[in-house]
Amino acid sequence: MNSRRTVVLVALMLAVSLILAPAGNAAAKKIKVAFALLWTIDDMGWTTAAYNGIEYLKEQMGDQVEVSYTEKVLAADAERVIRDYARKGYDIIFGTTFEHMDPMLMVAKDFPKTVFEHCSGYKTAPNMGNYFARMYQGEFLSGYLAGLMGFKNVGTVATNPIPEPIRGINAFTIGLIKGLKEAGHKFDPNNVNTVVWLKAWRDPINETTLAETLISRKHDLIRQMADTPDSSLAACAKGVPAIGYGADAAKYGAKCVLVSPIWNWGPYFVEVVKQVQAGTWKPTPYWGGFDKNNIALTDFNASVPEAVRQKVLAQKKLLVEGTDNIFVGPIYDQKGKLMIPEGKKATDKELLTMRWLIKGVSGKIPD
Amino acid sequence: MDDLIFILAITLKSSIPVLLASLGEIITERSGILNLGVEGMMLVGALAGFVVGQQSGSLLLGFGGAMAAGMLLALVHAFFCIHLRASQVISGLAVTILATGLSSFLGRPFIGRVGIHLGSLPVGPLAEVPLVGPVLAQQNWLCLAALALVPLTAWALAGSWPGLSIRAVGEDPEAADAAGVPVAPIRYACTLFGGLLAGLGGAYLSLVYTPGWKEGMTGGQGWIAIAMVIFATWRPGRALLGALLFGGLTALQFYFQATGAELVPAWILRLLPYLLTVGILFLVTVLKRTRFGAAPAALGQPFFRG
Repeated sequence: MNSRRTVVLVALMLAVSLILAPAGNAAAKKIKVAFALLWTIDDMGWTTAAYNGIEYLKEQMGDQVEVSYTEKVLAADAERVIRDYARKGYDIIFGTTFEHMDPMLMVAKDFPKTVFEHCSGYKTAPNMGNYFARMYQGEFLSGYLAGLMGFKNVGTVATNPIPEPIRGINAFTIGLIKGLKEAGHKFDPNNVNTVVWLKAWRDPINETTLAETLISRKHDLIRQMADTPDSSLAACAKGVPAIGYGADAAKYGAKCVLVSPIWNWGPYFVEVVKQVQAGTWKPTPYWGGFDKNNIALTDFNASVPEAVRQKVLAQKKLLVEGTDNIFVGPIYDQKGKLMIPEGKKATDKELLTMRWLIKGVSGKIPD
Repeated sequence: MDDLIFILAITLKSSIPVLLASLGEIITERSGILNLGVEGMMLVGALAGFVVGQQSGSLLLGFGGAMAAGMLLALVHAFFCIHLRASQVISGLAVTILATGLSSFLGRPFIGRVGIHLGSLPVGPLAEVPLVGPVLAQQNWLCLAALALVPLTAWALAGSWPGLSIRAVGEDPEAADAAGVPVAPIRYACTLFGGLLAGLGGAYLSLVYTPGWKEGMTGGQGWIAIAMVIFATWRPGRALLGALLFGGLTALQFYFQATGAELVPAWILRLLPYLLTVGILFLVTVLKRTRFGAAPAALGQPFFRG
């Protein structure tokens, strides 16, 4: 009897420990997070911003996370890198560029217990969410700042003619016109912002040539949109002010930059890790702006007047509070066609598929 | 008028790296060595120029460092091609791949750093000369040096003793050897000279045109330089023409975008230089040896004595 009782007891203890063990482990378990990065962490733009987010995540979560990343994960290599991380048992894998979308979706199907997060795409799966930041809000604010300061002949060195930059050009121009109107400057309503296309995300040589072309055409402000700061640098060298983009251009020597709207991914990375820890993570399309602290403005250049700063910060406060009325009609396209009717606000879907330039922009979208 | 001046100025200014690299490649190829490592040599030149310039604060040392770096890499290519008689195509490609990786790795701590750069020429009273003055005012002394190099190399190749030796070695190394011309040393010297100019062209980018170091910042200009050599049918004067054409078409393309007046569709402008290069390659191949110009007869062939 005694021995049987012992056996039962041992069995019970075993069962209890088996039930408890995973739970106990989970509480102490580190969340393993991996990032597939587009380029090198010091690319001065997109990937530097992602890396700053990774640093923020490590800072905030400390021992609770174990973070790895791979640089230069181009489309052809993406599936291998992502699958590799999944196999090694990473809990969350971030794909940080558009081209990672389809490869990630394929891997996500094979690893249903792993959480996948993809940046800037539109596809989701039961274990794959997508996220992006409303950079256009920061671009609107920089346009507003430029308008208040009276720049009415801006030259923009744009990147690739897809919805994200197009939306940004439009938001900037909306802000620019708003600023010009509020400050009482005279301007040509059809032509305040000339856009030229680089057809690349980074191309220092052509950025320089394009910026110099715009400056020689007497544009009074150069707007950088590429990852590399060379259009801003070229403007500074010629004594023309500039607006940076993505990361702080002033940090890379472009001292004439009035302000740079920058990506701020850290808070979102932390949020996802915390949700996974708590078991509440769900695949959602996520698009945060100033309200979620996913976008930021750098410090203003010393030449920006105090009154202008106050006005820009007041607009920023509205955005932080969640009031985003940037794309509220009436908004016309370049030919004067009403695209967003009076009082109506463009939906996220309309914003994400935007392929037209607003009235006030000069230059066209290349085929 | 302002626009014309600007287009001319930017054309000249932006065509210098390709011009320098293609002049070097012409000399190299005229001696019978095909150097596909130009892009890599430009990259290490850009990096070395920036780093040495930034550390020493001296432009002269910066450009010197760039030339030395280009030459060092050319030495690797020369050793494989001339000494070991390896395939010149493979060696050149390997050099470019090596240099791309190496410059990206070694250059990491320097990305985004602010260094020194070469400013525009002080033209003084020349600025008053219509057209020439304002165009020159936007150039720099390296640009003038590159332009001066064109007639110099053309003259050297056409008539000087070293030039004739280079051509002899590139056309018929056996005959040159029999005549007592030192084939290997001349080929070494020409390859190193090519590397030197490619390095200088790279430094033009990192110290003049787009100051600063960025990974892969040459953006394929080295390959354009190689195409330019074919376009120029191995003649320095025509290389200048080609480089200006390349630079001019790019400048025009951007100018049309900025003004909104598209006289010629952008895709034609983009395509034209490459189309012309292919066309000329076709002519050179079909017409073979004509006064129009042809590839050096021994180009790409290793030399074996006996």
